[in-house]
Amino acid sequence: MNGHQKSWPIILVITILSAPLVLAYAYLFVDTITNSPPGSVVPHEFTLEHWSFLWQTRPGRLSIWRVTLNSLLFATTSAALVVVVSSMAGYVLSRLNVPGRSFFLAGVMLLHAFPAITLIVAIFIVLQMVGLYNSLIGVILVKAAIDMPLGIWLMKGFYDTVPWEIEMAGIQDGASRFTVWRKLVLPQVRPGIFALALFAFLLAWGEFILPQVLAPSGNAQVLSVYLASLIADDNNFDMALFKSVGLFYIAPVLVLFFVFQNYLMNIYGGGTKG
Amino acid sequence: MDASRDKTGLPPASGGAGRAPARRRLGLLDSSRGLGVLLLLPALVLVILFFLMPVVLTGVFAFTNMSTATGISGGAHQVSPGSLRVLTERYGMGELAERLGQPTYLVDERGLAALEETGIAPGIVASLRRGHLDESFASRREFERAIRALPDRPDTRTVKRISDAFSRSLANARFTDAGALVAAAEAIDPDLTPEEKDALASATYTGWSWTTDNFRRLTSSRDTTRVFFNTLFFVAMTLVFFNIGYAMFLAIATHYMPERPAGIFRIVWFLPRISPVVIYVLLWKWVAWDTGFLNAVLSDFGVRPRNWMLDSATQAWFFVIMINGFVGASMGMLIFASAIKAIPETHFHAASVDGAYRWQQVRHIILPQLKWPILFVTCYQTLSLLTSIEQTLLATDGGPGGATEVWSLWIYHTALNNYAGNLQYGYGAAMALVLVVIGIVLSLIYLRLFNYNALITRPRIEL
Amino acid sequence: MRILLDKFSKAFGAVSVIEDMTLEIGDGEMLALLGPSGCGKSTTLFAICGIHKVSGGRILFGDRDVTSLPPQERNVGVVFQSYALYPHMTVRENIAFPLRIAGKSSVEVARQVDEMAQLVHIEPLLDRRPAELSGGQQQRVALARALVRRPHVLLLDEPLANLDAKLRLEMRSEIRRIQLETGITAVLVTHDQVEAMSMCDRIAIMDAGRIVQIATPTEMYNDPHTAFVAGFLGNPPIAFLRGVVSGDAIVVPQSDVRLPKPNGARNLAEGTRVSVGIRPENFGPAGDVPVRGRISFVETQGRENLYDLMLADGSVLRSIQPVRSDIAVGDEVEWSVASDRIFMFDDKGERI
Repeated sequence: MNGHQKSWPIILVITILSAPLVLAYAYLFVDTITNSPPGSVVPHEFTLEHWSFLWQTRPGRLSIWRVTLNSLLFATTSAALVVVVSSMAGYVLSRLNVPGRSFFLAGVMLLHAFPAITLIVAIFIVLQMVGLYNSLIGVILVKAAIDMPLGIWLMKGFYDTVPWEIEMAGIQDGASRFTVWRKLVLPQVRPGIFALALFAFLLAWGEFILPQVLAPSGNAQVLSVYLASLIADDNNFDMALFKSVGLFYIAPVLVLFFVFQNYLMNIYGGGTKG
Repeated sequence: MDASRDKTGLPPASGGAGRAPARRRLGLLDSSRGLGVLLLLPALVLVILFFLMPVVLTGVFAFTNMSTATGISGGAHQVSPGSLRVLTERYGMGELAERLGQPTYLVDERGLAALEETGIAPGIVASLRRGHLDESFASRREFERAIRALPDRPDTRTVKRISDAFSRSLANARFTDAGALVAAAEAIDPDLTPEEKDALASATYTGWSWTTDNFRRLTSSRDTTRVFFNTLFFVAMTLVFFNIGYAMFLAIATHYMPERPAGIFRIVWFLPRISPVVIYVLLWKWVAWDTGFLNAVLSDFGVRPRNWMLDSATQAWFFVIMINGFVGASMGMLIFASAIKAIPETHFHAASVDGAYRWQQVRHIILPQLKWPILFVTCYQTLSLLTSIEQTLLATDGGPGGATEVWSLWIYHTALNNYAGNLQYGYGAAMALVLVVIGIVLSLIYLRLFNYNALITRPRIEL
Repeated sequence: MRILLDKFSKAFGAVSVIEDMTLEIGDGEMLALLGPSGCGKSTTLFAICGIHKVSGGRILFGDRDVTSLPPQERNVGVVFQSYALYPHMTVRENIAFPLRIAGKSSVEVARQVDEMAQLVHIEPLLDRRPAELSGGQQQRVALARALVRRPHVLLLDEPLANLDAKLRLEMRSEIRRIQLETGITAVLVTHDQVEAMSMCDRIAIMDAGRIVQIATPTEMYNDPHTAFVAGFLGNPPIAFLRGVVSGDAIVVPQSDVRLPKPNGARNLAEGTRVSVGIRPENFGPAGDVPVRGRISFVETQGRENLYDLMLADGSVLRSIQPVRSDIAVGDEVEWSVASDRIFMFDDKGERI
């Protein structure tokens, strides 16, 4: 920071540029509890009618709670899978003497950069063949697999910061490599595991295209697909309803992000798709 | 401390204390190699199932004509009016088709056994066997006349039952493989030539088959060129203006700000990335929609309300690029910001003393330091933009009139979801194969750029 | 327990670090592996504890060949430079860890942990975490954890390097006390000759993967086998002059220094180049061979002063003397060398 240079002109410019974004998110909140006269954006009355979706299930649709449960199940399971698989594989790539270690490391980097979404046609057909189409299990596996390379890469980074001497000491104390990993190394990377779990959860919570393609209907519908199908239904266009469902859907994300932003910023910077 | 007591307290280890418990351990978990393979296994399984296999299968499916019509499992052989027409028109075997389309009546042991099962008078069966075994009749009338002529004189209902039992029609019959079909056809017409058998087998096949048509179609279609240039335009514009340009602006701007507002603006510009894509695009729709924010504001100035996002191709592109760009900008922002932060403070002070203005600082100090981060973001974002699908799908769905149809969306519309309902998996796989190949090539380049060998250190425990 | 390295070799890929090294450490002995960084002393330590696989030769603990045993089964206690305490465990849990791994009953574990805490004087700290301890306290915990399994041998990898000067002095005697009280065989890896000399029974001095000399500290100081050993031991360090054999004397060219030829140099040919090592305490006002020069540097050490004397040929001799105020930088002086205490080395650095 250079104190002698004024920063207010820059702040002004960036404030103007950011205003629409802030406004859009503010209205996401406002519009769910108010009504505005047609052709105006200024609300004139308070109402809770837009939230009726919470207690009234529309004909032909799943209950919002069922869909929320699906989303929770999808996000937590896939996050758990990513964390378990990555914390295992990341340790190998960081520490263990396995044949072809550098090959695996290159492979993980390659997979991380490779856009897995291009494989969706093949995955779609395979899931249909093995009978996992339109089931949560199928999407969970696919989502976990796609997020896994980044998870491995991040976990490897976390393990790299654990001093070798801790492991050497553990081995000298008579512990097996497995015990050393489990009892001595894993506790050191707990913050990393937490950050990865949070990150993988948010990724899966927001995921749209995979459930849309691989589990669009039936009882496996998740919030993103549910909301998208509401919006796509031309016969019932109700922006306030969309926004209410949307706010319901985004609220956990915003809470988690604001509480844990320090954990998350680094990981997001480390590279996600988008 | 009593030294002598300590000495007795620590007898020279006999080895027993150290060795005995060691035997309890699982051998596999104890060696680096064994444990390594074990810990890698789940990751490997996922990679094989969801990366390697799909890559190979994309290539395989690209050479098939799989679609909703053919199904994805192996097909069957069905003699339908349609397949008989194919037999007539494509193979010129109209006569064969006609023959197979007509029911035929063949008196054989199988039919006789079936007839006995139905509890018909044994005398009739016996006289049928005696008089007509292995005889065939081209039409029902002919056969029924023969039955009525039997010594037992069966009544009309019995005649119908008998004729049904010997009806050997192929019409609408379904066979799981070509062999069964040919066998059934030979039962009716024992004199089939090999050419006729082949023609019959392929004309009646309902499943998918191998073909290179997808690629011929892809290279000759006018859509290909249009979608290709759409994709190129989309990637270039989004990358230059937002993922690099705007991201750089945000990173530099927040650098020249006090810590607090900088943090707030970074969070604000992070919202598009952390928001679930469906909601994020919904907000844009709310802005652009017929009775949405933009129209509400502009109506006061007498601007005709319209759907700004889909009103014209130019506007659609404008929104598609903005929507994607706002998401992409945050990644560049973070990476550039941390790269700028890494520039030693003294560089800036030295420059200030030299009388360099802020713009010159940016030009001469910041930008040169950002060469690698820019390359990194360019590589990474090119790949993700090439395959980006969610935002565009939800915003314009390729419209208006296919104006914003990009390659990945084209795949989606061809193979995964369209209004017509005929999903062409094989054709879609061929399109996807193009992206898969580009993806592999670009990520290999990416790997080379970021010399990963530097990241590998020898394990310090040699076990 | 007696430790024997028998023709031990270690290579990393194609790079050979240690070749055919043989080293015996007696039961209850404390031996220092002393040498500059990269000399292979840490590699030797890692081979003894099993973290590195050996490329050739054998390692014996007593009569047992442990060469192919994994470290978990060797029962070796190691204290690392960084102490490597487990940050998420209390001191008590740290010390108990090896016992728990061995499957000891919790009564037994508690008894032995208390015993160890007493031995290394950390009883009040048992429920703290490592982050709440000072460097010296962490060192004591690391010692306790290394010793609690009753190891066959205790390995200390630069244990004092992370401590400040005062603590270092304290821990030097503490480690030695604990080693003597437990009677354990110990190997100390260090690059600090003062540590090696003050703490150990014998020193093995290493250079470029070889043991150059192995002896008690006094022997090694008074009878270095090579110029490298002479240069490594002693503070302030020994000074070397380049000399040439001339008749029955060694002369330093372009100066008036003439040293008598020592017994071992009798049959050296005329004109052979040698190097002469003179320790600072053997050069001063009292001696038999006069050397003239100019004082180029004076370093006050409190009780004593260290003087650098530049000779006519540009080489420098060091002298340590009780503080005197009659000499300043730039003075011309004539002091003498005690010629019976000088070491002579050939051009390969071997003692003559």
